[in-house]
Amino acid sequence: MLSFIARRTISALGTLLLASVLVFLAVQALPGDVATKILGKDATPDAVAGLREQMGLDRPAWERYLDWVESALHGDFGTSLVSGKPVATEAAAHLGNSALIALVTVLFAVTGALVLGVLAGLYRDRWADHLISTVSLVGMSIPEFVVATVLVLCFSIALPWFPAVVLYGPDASVGQLLPAVWLPALALATVMAAYIVRMARTSVIDVMASEYVTTARLKGLSTWRVVTRHALPGALLPTLHVIALNVAWLVGGVAVVENVFNYPGIGKLLLTSVQNRDLPVIQAVALISAVVYVVCNLAADLGSMALNPKLRTRGRTR
Amino acid sequence: MTEAHRPGRRSLLAGAACLGASWLVSGCTGAASITALPAAAPKGAPDRGGTLRIARPPASDAETLDPAGPLSAYEYLGALYNRLVRVGTDGGLVPDLAEAWEADSKARTWTFRLRKGVTFHNGHTFTSADAAYTLRHILDKATASPQAGVLAPLIDPKTLRTPDAHTLVVPLKSPHAEFPSLLTHYNCYVIPDGSGRSIGRTGIGTGPFRLDSFAPAGPGSVTAYQDHWAGRPVLDAISFASVADMSARANALLAGQVDLLSQTNLDFATARVVEASDRATIARVKNSQWYVLPMLTTEKPFTDVRVRKAMKLAYDPEHVVKVALQGAGTAGWDNPVPPDDPLHIRSHPEHDPDRARHLLKKAGHEGLTVDLHTSSYDPLFTPMALAYQDSARRAGIRVRVKTAAADSYYTQIWMKKPLMATYWYTGRPIDQLFTQIFRSGSSYNETAWSDKDFDALLDRARAETDDKRRRELYGEGQTMVIERGGAITPMFADRLVGVSRKVRGYAEHGFEFDYLAIGLKGA
Repeated sequence: MLSFIARRTISALGTLLLASVLVFLAVQALPGDVATKILGKDATPDAVAGLREQMGLDRPAWERYLDWVESALHGDFGTSLVSGKPVATEAAAHLGNSALIALVTVLFAVTGALVLGVLAGLYRDRWADHLISTVSLVGMSIPEFVVATVLVLCFSIALPWFPAVVLYGPDASVGQLLPAVWLPALALATVMAAYIVRMARTSVIDVMASEYVTTARLKGLSTWRVVTRHALPGALLPTLHVIALNVAWLVGGVAVVENVFNYPGIGKLLLTSVQNRDLPVIQAVALISAVVYVVCNLAADLGSMALNPKLRTRGRTR
Repeated sequence: MTEAHRPGRRSLLAGAACLGASWLVSGCTGAASITALPAAAPKGAPDRGGTLRIARPPASDAETLDPAGPLSAYEYLGALYNRLVRVGTDGGLVPDLAEAWEADSKARTWTFRLRKGVTFHNGHTFTSADAAYTLRHILDKATASPQAGVLAPLIDPKTLRTPDAHTLVVPLKSPHAEFPSLLTHYNCYVIPDGSGRSIGRTGIGTGPFRLDSFAPAGPGSVTAYQDHWAGRPVLDAISFASVADMSARANALLAGQVDLLSQTNLDFATARVVEASDRATIARVKNSQWYVLPMLTTEKPFTDVRVRKAMKLAYDPEHVVKVALQGAGTAGWDNPVPPDDPLHIRSHPEHDPDRARHLLKKAGHEGLTVDLHTSSYDPLFTPMALAYQDSARRAGIRVRVKTAAADSYYTQIWMKKPLMATYWYTGRPIDQLFTQIFRSGSSYNETAWSDKDFDALLDRARAETDDKRRRELYGEGQTMVIERGGAITPMFADRLVGVSRKVRGYAEHGFEFDYLAIGLKGA
């Protein structure tokens, strides 16, 4: 078991290293260099050369990469080329705001999807299953920004219950952001839940057809007890992986949705920094996303190992 | 970048992802018939007091309140500060902090008589020292002011004189009869003497509002300044929210979270949704956007003046206005001076595809094929390019419209590709316009046009103290730009501004926004 954990952790670290190289190279390949971008219409060749030197853009790429990785390991992502503030504090403020959305989204999506998925599984091929399956398929197929736009149209323009956009900056308090969290979270949860519903439905159907459930039923247990004590834990296992992957997907999904709601999160930071060619910020945000992704996957693997006796013991028998 | 795109950086994602209201509408209405949009905002007097909520696109994460700097937060400037002179509704100059101004007989030295009894928000009295410092601050290299390029060839900061507390004397390096018009620029708002280092945060001016709070690319607010020299404004306060995405701004207006969208020219689809809503409507700022297809005169085939001329004669501006603007604007006829400018000349060559064909043949470019670059940076670029393409076909010119990425459009395409679509705000007085965008060597000369005759004509016009004669010279300048220059100007578009139905007294033209009179009704 230990060797399994070690192998997964090492491969996670390797993935991160590879991601950091890719992020760095991708940022270098962006069209339009940051010096001309900052100077805009005032970019005379002299001014550009001066600024490039000042920003160290004239040094070889590998040298800049090593510097970047070294300071990133110390939690220093440099300073933003545009605002002049430390990237780490800026990214942390935005990440915190996004975490608020992520938390609400995961709560919505996971509880909602599990309930619906289990219902669909239990009432397989009946109208409830058809309804849930169709709706979740539709939810899966519609991009999150469309869902977000429809939600804004319904719940902030037609019915003014929630704000359509956030009018605060990244320093907004949780209290200020809270009214604005629900719509983006709902939009993300709709797309995310679809996958989990499908997964949970399939698991429940498999489990309900299994011998131990039949045995439990024969013992005379009520359906409710069979579902909660026997079927659900078994059905949760494969679903866990999907949930973890979806949390990782969230990091990308928020980029678009946050822009629709002008929400001061990590996705909006990424978008503005790409538009401004603010290299240190782009790199930091991309790396943070990679870390979230890798950590979620690792957690999913280790989590399913902890829940699955077969995986847990496989290491020993070898 | 700020200079040219005063309209602000339109959402870059909007084009790519079609977010927000505009997406829904274009999806729903599709080929619906064009309904007429209202010509003006609701009329009537506002109630006294209230807070106006404005959504604005941030200039940059590094924006400041320094009016002279390249990254100023534009909306705050007119609320916080005053200039010496400003542009009136008829396009002429009207007093702001200067009550009167006069030149010597050769237009080499200008004397400004300054208003008395004006106080800054910190209680200090406004004097000529502040006015002189403002000019020195603009000319200071460390400020990196976009307006320095226009003023530095004219003013030596060391020669500025303040004979008394209410007189400013500006000796010029060369005669300039239109000099005061250059001080109407939004970089020229007056700041307190010696405040250059702090003004970006404090925002201390003499304007109708004083600063409460300001965060770069974040929220901020200003409150009425009771002791303003022209009387207190109608409103009690204005709050500003930074919303980078155009569709998000429109949603905020539709949801009743804000009352006005600044620096936002709504696309037709969104404008119709806004107009149809109970909360908001559309106000038009007439001819406020100058759309232009700059030909780089240093790139083939546009090095040949005959080709440039043919490109202009080949298409019909009225067709472009009809197709791309749905009639919401005025045909440009390749004259960059807007139709409502007092010095605008009406005469222009007529649309003549046969002559265009003939000119091309003479230049050895019969059946010319050119690439025209556009992007989703502005919703009108591509319609304008397609309308031009369609119209120029009659002269045998084949135009290939190429769409470039919006986020690198102004670094990769503008002033790099021989032909592209772009726009500017109108509102520059004629000498500012010619000096900044058409004179040889100016950093904003987007056609890289360098014509000694034009430069000499501009100098002659500036030195001419007879108003009638000077008017004629600036007229000749327009003819020269039309006949020889590289700028194809198909149209001037009305800006479609989203405002709440409660807003009264909204008046904006060029770079002038009436912060004193604007207010709310029944808020």
